[in-house]
Amino acid sequence: MTSDRKMAQTTLEQRPAGGHRVSQWALAWRRLKKNKVAIAGLGIVGIFIVMAAFDRLVALYPPKCILGVSPACQLDGRLHSNSPPGLAYPLGTDITGYDVYSEIVYGTRAAFLIGVGATGLTMLIAVVIGLAAGYFGGWMDNLLMRLTEVFLVIPFFLLLLVFLQVTIKLAPANTGSIWLVVFVIGAFSWPGAARIIRGEVLRVREFEFIAASRQIGASSYRILFRHLFPNVLHIIIVLATLQIAASILTEAAVSFLGFGAPGSNTWGQQMYNSANYVEQAWWGTLFPAVFVTLMVMGFNLLGNGLRDALDPRLRE
Amino acid sequence: MFLVPVFFGITLLVFSIERLAGDPVQLYTALNPHINEAQRQLLRQSLHLDQPIHIQYLSWLSDLLSLNLGFSYSGGSVAVLISQRLWATLELQLIGLTLSLIIAIPIGILSARKRYSVLDVTITSSSLVGTSIPIFFLGVAAILIFGYNLHWFPSGGFQSSDPSRYLYHNLLLDQAWHLFLPATVYTFAILAPVVLLVRSSMLEVLRQDYILAGRASGLSERSVMYKHGLRNALIPIVTYVGLYFGGLLAGAPVTETVFNWPGVGKLFVDYTTQLDFPVIQAVVVIITLMTLVANLVTDVTYAYIDPRIRLE
Amino acid sequence: MPWILGSGSSEVSALPDPLLHVQNLRTYFFTYAGIVKAVDDISLDVSKGETLGVVGESGSGKTVTAQSILRIVPSPGKIVDGTIEFEGKSLMKLREKDMQRIRGKDIAYVPQDPTSTLDPVYRVGEQLSEVIMRHHVISRKDALAKATDLLRSVEIPDPEIRISQYPHELSGGTKQRIAIARALAGDPVLIIADEPTTALDVTIQAQILDLLKELKNRLNVAMILITHDMGIVADVCDRVTVLYAGQVCESGTVEQVFEKPKHPYTQALLTSVPNLALRKEKLSVIPGNVPNLIEPPSGCRFNPRCPYAQQICIDKVPELEPIGEGRSVHCHRWKELDLKSPVAS
Repeated sequence: MTSDRKMAQTTLEQRPAGGHRVSQWALAWRRLKKNKVAIAGLGIVGIFIVMAAFDRLVALYPPKCILGVSPACQLDGRLHSNSPPGLAYPLGTDITGYDVYSEIVYGTRAAFLIGVGATGLTMLIAVVIGLAAGYFGGWMDNLLMRLTEVFLVIPFFLLLLVFLQVTIKLAPANTGSIWLVVFVIGAFSWPGAARIIRGEVLRVREFEFIAASRQIGASSYRILFRHLFPNVLHIIIVLATLQIAASILTEAAVSFLGFGAPGSNTWGQQMYNSANYVEQAWWGTLFPAVFVTLMVMGFNLLGNGLRDALDPRLRE
Repeated sequence: MFLVPVFFGITLLVFSIERLAGDPVQLYTALNPHINEAQRQLLRQSLHLDQPIHIQYLSWLSDLLSLNLGFSYSGGSVAVLISQRLWATLELQLIGLTLSLIIAIPIGILSARKRYSVLDVTITSSSLVGTSIPIFFLGVAAILIFGYNLHWFPSGGFQSSDPSRYLYHNLLLDQAWHLFLPATVYTFAILAPVVLLVRSSMLEVLRQDYILAGRASGLSERSVMYKHGLRNALIPIVTYVGLYFGGLLAGAPVTETVFNWPGVGKLFVDYTTQLDFPVIQAVVVIITLMTLVANLVTDVTYAYIDPRIRLE
Repeated sequence: MPWILGSGSSEVSALPDPLLHVQNLRTYFFTYAGIVKAVDDISLDVSKGETLGVVGESGSGKTVTAQSILRIVPSPGKIVDGTIEFEGKSLMKLREKDMQRIRGKDIAYVPQDPTSTLDPVYRVGEQLSEVIMRHHVISRKDALAKATDLLRSVEIPDPEIRISQYPHELSGGTKQRIAIARALAGDPVLIIADEPTTALDVTIQAQILDLLKELKNRLNVAMILITHDMGIVADVCDRVTVLYAGQVCESGTVEQVFEKPKHPYTQALLTSVPNLALRKEKLSVIPGNVPNLIEPPSGCRFNPRCPYAQQICIDKVPELEPIGEGRSVHCHRWKELDLKSPVAS
């Protein structure tokens, strides 16, 4: 990240309308700070980061602790299954007897893993395709954009469910891993981002300093990574932030339907495990859903704020 | 005609997933443990499993194109299964989409007109929050409150299973009663992005001089906003509706599972759990087809909306 | 005849026949970045049949002034203070409904950019007859016939064909003529034309200016011509009001202002006009930029760029001072400066 930023700054300096080198990002930060909604998003994300980093401290009980049964959480010695929220368990307990609150805290790390992991893969594909299509143009652009359109039309969510079910059947040993879910979400989510990045590359490519460096014989590699990439970086940051939210949402939906990794402890999985008891013990399903919503909201608000801050053309 | 290769690409993908999943006969046997060897042989022949893989694909594809959707592993006719469920899906989707447009368009226009005002900031930020609320949260909360707790609406389903329990002994009223909660929740779940889209699209249009000129010519605010403003802001909105119609359909599994709604999405979830491929393949192909048709309709609509596109 | 003096009369009395009177107008934009004081104490007058030039750089508040007069300032802009009187009645006090009856009927507007002045999705005839039907009791068929007549009156060839065309099928000059025809649809007594020629080719510019002059003489309609080009002012206008950073620098007849500018900014503007045949000094640009209107300079807003600025110009906002013969000046030092006109003969 730091090296990216350094690169961006040196190149922004050469931007025709660019102004001073550090000020581009500093200005964006100043604009972001003024945007209360974006700061709220940043705050939510920050709280979740703390929750994930210090989950043992934030949680009330150790992971997978059956209240009243497991040695670490004996309480009064009776099994607390589907108990409503109370003093010992602020968000109630689920059917097994887990403290809903503690399990949600332990699920935070998985949510970040899914969001950031899937987004990493998505943005990698999207950046490569978007840069290549936008920069090389011609048949390359044509081919890549047609491929993108195919992926846009594919009912991705349906295929995701089929993929996951097939893998569970084929390789039962692997079912505890959420990496498969992460991989499939990442591998299918890139088309929208690729299109936007390509559009931005097409715009930036016309900047005079890039035309100039092409004329003085700079290599494609150099132009792509020293000039084009840093100038579309702001778009990539915005898209990535929003994609993290989308990935978390998709995983939650997949797991809620029962196609997630059964051994994993994601919020979606928690909802699924409690869904059959929603009438007696709504807290087991609803509270994980609340946390999915909060985290998705945090990233969405932040992403939209970043878009306004990094792309001042949208605001006057 | 770019749509044709896309369609074939997707059929190829769907077909490969099935064959990668293992021997269809084994999958079939898993659901029907009591079949004998002769029946297995018959199945093998009907799926052309004794022939090379590309022949298998081609015969599967030709069956598909002649609308011969075959039978599910658990026995039912796929065509019948889907046609029974399709109406419920379309009913919910179309009502939700229409209602959300009817509500979102005036709100978005208002927000754009009064931009930076307290009203605009309120609408924009609550829409941003709204885009983040998943339907499984909204739906479950609504069922808990209005279904289980207040008993105003049934907690799920398309109609009461027992005719004697129909609302006021009327089937249509009973269905409307069942529809109310899912349709309302679904409308609100897809409302927020439409509001934001209408707002940003209108902001772009309101910058144009013909809006200023319209106002300066003494036209009524309604005429300026709807006849000139909205009409010009429509292209991105139509694109959204067209492009995401497929996406909305693909989101049907979650919505329909939450409300126990007997549509194609619920069907898909149930049969995917069993890996019942004839049904899976048919649903994926039908939804892809509907997406492609929606894209086609979008393009035609563009030409209707904008005379500049008509020429090309 | 020295063309620089324009087609206006040389009367010196102050506004014999007032039509529009704008006083102490303030229009602010309430944005996230702060309050943009786009128009901050602007006053101007137009009498019947007269053409007033409103001159200034971009950002001087010309367009916002025009929009304020019609009360069509786009959000987040608001008129915060001032009086606007038209034919003796206050426009500020009118209800929106009554204001709509004045817009396009009594006061018409020609916007700046001919490429977007017409709605791209409707035919020309539909757009013109819409305005005609708004202001006259007339059938759709007769409105279309009147639209054709209007196109003919702005010298568009083949009006019967144009009427059923879409804007993208027309040239920029034709679109601007149609915009002028639309302005004439309600038989206005005042037309506000916002840089009607800026976006056009030079030859088309001359044609549009000729058309405006011709209409003015034929219909005896008053006009506010917004421009940044002193050459156009000299060519078309009777009187001129010079704006800078949302305030008036000076106003007077074209003759007075060109012969004897009283404000340093006017003098600088005259120096920077490229196409005045009578200019004696060499072409120059005004150093510096139009100030930030969120936090404008203290005192006289022109002081950071003014070659004659002194401490008082930074400390104190000058008054808009009437100096006789219908002229007024907004400068502390106008008396002592005794500026020379770079274009006077």
